[in-house]
Parts: sequence; structure tokens; C-alpha cells
Amino acid sequence: MSLLKSRTPRAREKRIDTLNAWLGAAESTLHQFSGKEPEQRIRAFSQSAQDDLICALRLLGGVRNSVTIVHAPRGCAAASLWRHLQTGGGRWVVTNLDQRDTIMGADRKLRQAVTSAYRRYRPEVLFIVAGPVAAINNDDIQAVVDELRDELGVPIVPVFTSGFASRSAVSGYDIALHAIMKHLVGSGGEIARNEAVNLLSGAEGVADRLEAVRLLASLGIELNVLPDAAGVENFRQAAGARLSFSLDQDADNYLGIVLEEEYDVTAIEQPRPVGLRATGRWLLAAGEALGIESAARALHERESERVRRELGDFTLEGRRVYLALSPSTAFAVAELIEELGGELAGLSVSHLGRLQTAQLESLSSRHPALQIHVADGQPFEELNIVRRIAPDLYIGDGAHLGQLSRLGVPVVSLENSSLLGYEGALSVARRISAALKNRAFTEALAVAGTPYREGWLKRSPNWHIKKEVK
Amino acid sequence: MSHSIDGSRNSCALHGALQLIEAIDGVVPVVHSNSGCGFQHFLGVNRASGSGVACGSPPVSSSNVTEKHVVFGGSSRLREQLKNTVKVVDGDLYFIVSGCSTEMVGDDIPAMAKEGRDQSFPVVFANTPGFRGGVHHGYQLAARALIDQLPELRTTHPGTPGKLVNIWGIVPRQDPFWAGNLEEIGRLLEGIGVEPNLLVGNGQDSSAWHRVPQAALNLALSFWGEAPAERLAELYGTPSLVFGELPVGSNSGNLLRAVGEQLGFDPERTETFIQAEEIRLHRHLAALADTYFRAGFQREFVLVGERAQAAGIGTFLVRTLGLIPRGFVITDDLPDGQRELLPHAFGDIIREFGARLFFSEDRAEIAEIVRELKPGLVLGSALEEGVAREIGAPFLKLSFPLGDRIVLDRACAGYRGAATLIEDIGSALLAGSR
Repeated sequence: MSLLKSRTPRAREKRIDTLNAWLGAAESTLHQFSGKEPEQRIRAFSQSAQDDLICALRLLGGVRNSVTIVHAPRGCAAASLWRHLQTGGGRWVVTNLDQRDTIMGADRKLRQAVTSAYRRYRPEVLFIVAGPVAAINNDDIQAVVDELRDELGVPIVPVFTSGFASRSAVSGYDIALHAIMKHLVGSGGEIARNEAVNLLSGAEGVADRLEAVRLLASLGIELNVLPDAAGVENFRQAAGARLSFSLDQDADNYLGIVLEEEYDVTAIEQPRPVGLRATGRWLLAAGEALGIESAARALHERESERVRRELGDFTLEGRRVYLALSPSTAFAVAELIEELGGELAGLSVSHLGRLQTAQLESLSSRHPALQIHVADGQPFEELNIVRRIAPDLYIGDGAHLGQLSRLGVPVVSLENSSLLGYEGALSVARRISAALKNRAFTEALAVAGTPYREGWLKRSPNWHIKKEVK
Repeated sequence: MSHSIDGSRNSCALHGALQLIEAIDGVVPVVHSNSGCGFQHFLGVNRASGSGVACGSPPVSSSNVTEKHVVFGGSSRLREQLKNTVKVVDGDLYFIVSGCSTEMVGDDIPAMAKEGRDQSFPVVFANTPGFRGGVHHGYQLAARALIDQLPELRTTHPGTPGKLVNIWGIVPRQDPFWAGNLEEIGRLLEGIGVEPNLLVGNGQDSSAWHRVPQAALNLALSFWGEAPAERLAELYGTPSLVFGELPVGSNSGNLLRAVGEQLGFDPERTETFIQAEEIRLHRHLAALADTYFRAGFQREFVLVGERAQAAGIGTFLVRTLGLIPRGFVITDDLPDGQRELLPHAFGDIIREFGARLFFSEDRAEIAEIVRELKPGLVLGSALEEGVAREIGAPFLKLSFPLGDRIVLDRACAGYRGAATLIEDIGSALLAGSR
């Protein structure tokens, strides 16, 4: 049966056994995935974290010449505002549901919002993204889509996020990508084959995407980049491409699966090109798949020679580094840290599922006792852990670095900075070097203290992680 | 009926309540909603405001309800979350705020708060689903909850009788200059002998809120401050003074006179203080004069911002700085019947100069207005930056969202705020004239 038949893909925790709450040694973490289905844990105390709606809005905001209709009260579009302020792009309209709408339904309001957004911007595609109110009310979004698609003659894509159906925020990427492929490309039709290679880049920073494009394009590869900065045509072209090559096996995985299963486009998944070694492997994998291995190898040698020269004698030797990142980034950066001579002090990942078992296995074989913490945000646990470990450096991409840094640990943020490829390696090294060279700011921050009770910080950090009672 | 909004800037009631709560030291918000509600607040309100985040992260306690709670109810999850919040997060008051999903499901928030109090946790609550209204309404809901419920927690913090004045209506972070503005207004009030109760920002904590009933006067500096003032009049018979606009420059003197008069202060002492501030302001104006004429300060301007801000800043720009008002776009979501009620001086300006007045929070609509009026200076939010560039007008970001401007204790209110406002406008004009 076609993957795209269903309204939404299965949530990450069901599809690939994604965990969201866990603390344990690498070895026992890996053991979780050895059986059929790992045991799900939940928190008896929790803190705000991303959800599928936020992830979907981030991804969709990057689609070129589109308008996102956030079908929700106005607060649900705050993430779109933030995205716009950061990138300058992304057009959004919020249906601004009020009390009356929660009782009577708001199909009419949605119809108006779609129609006027279409008339105002004449976009190539409109997305309707459902928030919790629409999900609970079961507003008939599909009926509005069916009606207006014909009337306006423009693709309208319903994206059925809810804010509560999955504990893994990244399910929102899957839901958005599923909807895009289902409604913009569809199944069963004739697909025209083309010579392009899909570069899957979902919710990546611009600098990272451009670095990947620079490298692959310099090998003479004709690229079709999606979903970031892609237009409708790119999604259609993707279905007939030679193969797909992804930048992040976590965010882009589902798109790769759809392209492979639905349209026979082979997906090549490599760990993220972070650091020289991994970037080399990533380029070589592309070279092998396309029969241009020697050119890829030459490029890698040239670029890594340049980077080594620029890095000079930069080393992390004797430095213990704590990482708190999304999983595919975390494992990749872990390798970079070791490449630079540093030592891993511990790892927090925002979620962990079967997509990462190979990397987890490799990490566990190197460092079986290394502590792995699975938490999206949850700084109360992370501060507790990091305070015990007292690393020399913390590298994170979460929204709570302003709080974590009050422990007085030097911090490097990867939320918004370039990381991938050769340029990324240089950029990260520069940031790390600065953080270690001058600790004045984090020392000044330590005066502020943490928001937590001393009693909590002395408690075992996994105190509130419990097995789920079904 | 509410309308859909293009490029929405104002967030929801839950976020407005969080704005207030997070601005009071020692008060811990407990969000009872999906995990993303607090996170969106962090991204689209705190980060967007330019004035940072008190706790350095998204909200520190959130029940993160999931499908199970949406289907079977989430009250027990809230019970567990509240009990553990008290143990994990340091605070002296825990404030439960609810989101859309838990309200639609019908979780009994008041009962859970009462249970907490029965275990002698200091707990208050407010029902703040986003569908109840916008960010300003959320501020009102949270203020009302504190006014109504704090006295039940029985802690007294005496203020000086006859001198304490509560200040309402500046919504933290929604006014990007909130902290600096309050500090400056506090400084001015102190100057005439008032004991200002700022309530939020810069170290204000729950003791300030415990003092609220003892105030001699409630001062509302925007429409959004009127409801708390009215509630306190109902409960304690406290008189209110509705100023309705941000006092900027010489208008601050008018505010001080009105407050002094209401409290029966010696008018001579008040006047002496005001004159010293006026002299200082006029010294700045004299120093500016050379640049003023050289840079061509007398532009036609459009100001996009909340009503209190537009009225206060607009009045100063026209009446002191000699700029020409071309139009004002009011972006706060004022209820029907409120829109026509403009502060007098502001209304006079609009009539005298034939300035246009619009009410909109729709980015595309506002851009159309600015494009059509084509002023020589645009003052607004980050969402107006594009259209200002498009028409080639110098631009100053001063209303929410600020985006890439940082504001820690900068003010645009009072006498000192007037001076920084001149600095900022002047810098924008000079940068634009290169």
C-alpha cells in the first residue's frame, strides 16, 4: 500500500521507536534498542519543549513562494513570527481562532484566510497547518482544501499537526513532508525521470545548505535541493531524480523514504558531514554513487589540506566536552570533538530512535560508560547533569543556553551557526577556540544562579523519568 | 468575530499572562498545556521582544499534555506537575496558567490550585487559553488573578500610607522598553515624593504585589491597565488615574502634576522637580539644534505601535521635536468602542495636522498604508522594516517585535527616555542621509 495514502505518517515513537526521556550509559542505551520495542518513559516533571507544530512551521516557512495558514489562535503563529525575524522570509497568516470558533468550528474563517492570502500573494502553494484547537475540534480542513483547490486553481496542502499527538517534535517534519509529497506530487501518476540528484536539506541553516551545495556542485553534480528554499517544481522533480542524498538523516529521513518507496529514487544516508573525516566520507559516498569517486577524493584532499592549514595547532587535547544537540548532530559532533583531540564528557540528545542505532553502537563500543541523556530541552535535568560532570566546554543547540551557562561553563551554540563541511569545521573551531580563550562572560553569568532548588540539583537527575503506565 | 491576521505580531492570552508572570522575581509559571505553548512564547514573544529572557530558557514548568490527557483529561497530570514544580523550581509563588487544549478538555484548574493551597503551596491560577484573546488580555487575566487571589495567601507587606502608587498597563516585553520605561517613570514619581509600586521588572517580586491593596492610587498608563485599576477600586475603593499614554518628554510633567494633585502633594515642590527635568531636556534640545537642521529632522513620519506608545511618542515628536505626523497605525487589539477614545493631546495632533489614523495588526495591510502615505521617516516594529526600505525612508524600530535590536534598560518614556528617543531618531536619520 502506498505510504502516502494515510492522512499523516506514524509518529516517530511508533515508526522508529523514538525515545524522549532516558538517562543511562551508552551501552545500556544501546541495549534499549536490542529487543523488539524499547520501553517508553515519561516525565513526572517537565518543561516547555518544541512540538510537531513548531517543527512543521519551521520547515514549511522555508518553502519558496508559499504561504502558511496557521489554523489556530494567534499564539500558535508565534514560531512563524520568530522564523521570519530570523530569516526575513516566510509568509504566514493566522486564522486567529476565538472562543466562539472552538464551539462552532471555523471552516468559514479558514476559507476566507486561504482565499485572501491567495489573492494577495498569488503563491505557488498554500499550506494549512492545524494547531491543537483545530485538532481537538476536528475542523474539516480537508473539505476546505477540496473546495478551494478547484476554485482557486492552486495547490493547497493540509498539514495535520496537533501539538499533542506525538512526544517527538520531529514528527512535525515527517507530517509536513508527507503532506507536501502527497498533495504536490501524489502517487500513481507518470513521473518524468531527470538527471538531477536530490539534496535533502530540511530546516538547515542557510550557511550549511550553501556549503553542501558548493561542494557537490563543484563536482559537477546537478542538484535539486529540497525542502529548504524549494519551490513546487523541486518537489515534483525530486520524484524523478537519479538519487537522493541527505544532509541530516534525522530531519530528512522520512522524505528519503517516501522518495525511495513511492518513486524508486534511491536514498543514500550518511552521517552528517561534520568535521574533516565525516565530510570526506559523505563526499566519497556521493562520488561512489555517481561514479565520480576520484574527483570526490581529490576535492576532499584539497579542502581538508586547506582546513588543516587554517586550523594550525588548534587542539582540544585534555578538554572534556559535553554535547547537547539533536541526535544526528550530536553523534557527528562527537566524532569531530574526538577528531580534534578532545574527550567526550557526556551527551544529551533531544530524542533517540532507530535512525541512530548504528552511530550509537559505534559510540558505545568506544565509550560504553559514557552517559546518554535523552531530553528535548528539559534544562532542569541537564543543569543537574552538567553541574556534576563539570566539563571544560558545552556545545548545544537548545533554547536554554542562557540558563545552562549560569553554571559558569564555557558555551558554544550551534543553533544558528555554520557546522557542515569544511567551512563549518573552521567556523566551529573558531567558536570553540574563543569560548575557551576567554571565559569572562560565563563567569559573570554564574553570579545569577540557576532557577532550581539546591535540593533538586542534589537529586539523581533521572528522578522524574518514569516508565509509562499504559 | 475575530479576523485572520497576516504576519501576526501580537500573541495570545497565555503568552500575555506569561509576560507578566516572568517579569516578577520568584513567581514561577506552571503552564498546563501542550509542550509547544511555552516554547512558542519563548520564540515569538521573548526572543522577538529584544529584551531577553529572565530565566534564560522557555518556561521552567509545563505539564506537556499529550493525546492521552486530551482524551481522558489532564487534571491529574497537572496535580503531579504542580507538586513536583514546588520541589524542583525555586520560587515563592506558583502560578498555574492554562492553554487551549486543557481548557477545551475541561480540566478543572481552580480545583487543582485549591488542592495545592490545601497542601500549603503558595498557588494562584488563571484560565488563559489562547482562544480567549490576545497578549494584552492575558496580561489583564494574570493581573486580575494576582489581585484577587494573593490576599488569600495572607502575607502583608506594608507600604507608606498615602504615598504608594501602583503602576499598570505597561505589558512586559510587549512594550520592548518596558523595564527602562518603568524605571524612569518610577524615578520621576519618586522625585515628587511618591512611593512607586512598579510591580514588574528589575527585581520586583511578589512582595510588591502583596502591597497592591494598600496603594493610595492606581495609575493606568494604557487602556490595558484600566481593568486592574477598576478591579482594585471595586475591592478596596482605591482611586485611579487613567493617563492612557506613555508619558514622553514634557508630557511627563503633566503626569506628575496629575498624580501630585490627586495625592494632595505640595504643587510647588512638584513644579520645582519638573522644572529641573525640563531644563535638562531643553539643554539636550539646544545641543541637538545644529544636527537637527543639518539632518533635516522635520520629516513627515508614520508611527506604527500600540495606542499608548503611539500617543505618547507621537505627541512628543510633534509638540517638542517639531516633526510632521503623516499617519499612525495602532496595533494593539483594542475592544470595540475603545478605538475612538484617544488621549486629548493625541487627538488634537491628528486633527491639527490632518494625520491619518488606522487600526491594524495585519502586516500586509500596514505595509500598504505606509506605502501609500510614503513618509520621510518610519517608526515601527521589525515587521515594517521591509516597507520602510522599499520606500527609501529612514527607519527606527521601537515597537514589538524588535527582532534584531537589543533593549535592556533603555527607555523612551519620561525625560530621560525622551533624550534617548532623540538619540535613536537622530541616528536613524543620519544613517539614512549618507
